[in-house]
Amino acid sequence: MKQKDDWQLTEMLGYEHGRGDPFAAAVRATRMAMVITDPSQPDNPIVFVNEAFQELTGYSLDECLGRNCRFLQGPDTNMEVVDQVRQCVKNGTDIAVDLLNYRKDGTTFWNALYLSPVKGRDGNIQFYFASQLDVSERVEAQQQLINQKEIVDHQVSRRTADLEAALEAQTMLLHEVDHRVKNNLSVIGSLIRLQIREADEPATRAALRTTMERVDALAAVHRRLYQANDVRYFDVSSFALNLVQDAISTGRDRQIFLKTSVQRADLPSQQAASVGLLLNEILLYLLSSRVGVHSMHLSSQHEDDGITIVLASESTLAMQPLEASAISKTLIKRLSTPLNARVDWSVTRTGHSASVYIPRSE
Amino acid sequence: MVTRPKPPLNVIVVEDEPLIALDIEMMVEDAGHTVIAEATSLYDAEAWSNDLSPHLAFIDVQLARQTSGLDVSKLIQKRWPDTIIVFVTANPKIIPDGFDGAHGVIPKPLSRSGFMAAMQYLQKGVCDPPPTVMQPNSFTASPAFAATWKV
Repeated sequence: MKQKDDWQLTEMLGYEHGRGDPFAAAVRATRMAMVITDPSQPDNPIVFVNEAFQELTGYSLDECLGRNCRFLQGPDTNMEVVDQVRQCVKNGTDIAVDLLNYRKDGTTFWNALYLSPVKGRDGNIQFYFASQLDVSERVEAQQQLINQKEIVDHQVSRRTADLEAALEAQTMLLHEVDHRVKNNLSVIGSLIRLQIREADEPATRAALRTTMERVDALAAVHRRLYQANDVRYFDVSSFALNLVQDAISTGRDRQIFLKTSVQRADLPSQQAASVGLLLNEILLYLLSSRVGVHSMHLSSQHEDDGITIVLASESTLAMQPLEASAISKTLIKRLSTPLNARVDWSVTRTGHSASVYIPRSE
Repeated sequence: MVTRPKPPLNVIVVEDEPLIALDIEMMVEDAGHTVIAEATSLYDAEAWSNDLSPHLAFIDVQLARQTSGLDVSKLIQKRWPDTIIVFVTANPKIIPDGFDGAHGVIPKPLSRSGFMAAMQYLQKGVCDPPPTVMQPNSFTASPAFAATWKV
């Protein structure tokens, strides 16, 4: 059948409009591929295809007429979607789906199919109308996007695995170094304690003992570092509490009572060693004369701008000035400087106290 | 009536670092006790005579010849079930939650004051339980051991 005879077909199906009807002419001429099928005939055959359909599929009018639309399907067509279309035909409803179709030359295209029943005056379905749009580019772009996302996801998970492995190696290294530092501090302590036993002179023993206490303070800092959940911070309050408790529990003289009022006060880990030695030095200073000391006070306060730690001793004896060694004074001064810490000393009727203020470091 | 040991206590020291071992032994003796055996590895510990009667054992966890103090602890528990076992380690985190039957831990680096305070506390716990003095910061009792001292 020739193209110019198409009007006869439109006349056949469009008896409500008649020959030369502008609607039929529009259907013939539109660039949108269109098909009409007749469900009253066996297997719902095609009764009309327009020129755009013939161009899209490569099939001529003659090759289409009388056939069911399934000849457009091929091996890669999604049969689940085909079933959806079939259900809609059965139920007399409309549907819009993307379907992979095959041209006459075997090539494929993505068909945005719209199918809808056409009812007559009596309400019965007379025809099915279907329009086809080649959306291959859209579907391929989507597919490409999915593929790229998969590639990126794969790369991200590989990179994440690499980073996790690196982090694990770093954590192991930190633990190894931490372990060695602690063992070496133990050895240093052992060496000093050995030397103390050898020393005959009381002054030598006292000097070595003070050195041992300083090394012990450093050791106490390292016992706490990296054992906490957050390795970046160091709780100076619990450190100070342990330091004071240890210092007063070793006194062979009578019991010293400890009164405390401490709040958690975190400092960056890199300040831990300085703060630890500083507090130890202040404590050594306050306990330089243990005679008469019956109680110690420790309080710590954490405020927005910094941390304040107050250490005080109370004595039953009339207050005498404390004799700090020159090295103690030097250490307190030198250790305070990089921390921007301020140490204020005061003497009361019953004892001595030192207030250490450490501003928050930026 | 259980017979409690009286001081001086018999102490075992297991430590692969020679100077730390020497230090611990001297502090143990300063506290008035007797070191009856030492070891630097599980192999040394396996060679101990069965005639020993240790009251207390201080055990480092990472030992010489790729051996572990956790295994030495098991060996002691098998041979001398009444011995109080205390780990002395720079890495307390590697000790299992239940302490594998051991009684406590003293974290390294050691300080003389901390170790002596722990010694005193343990002596009370062994000879005259429950210890009446406050548990020192330097010593952490295993949950099972702490429970035996609760009234």
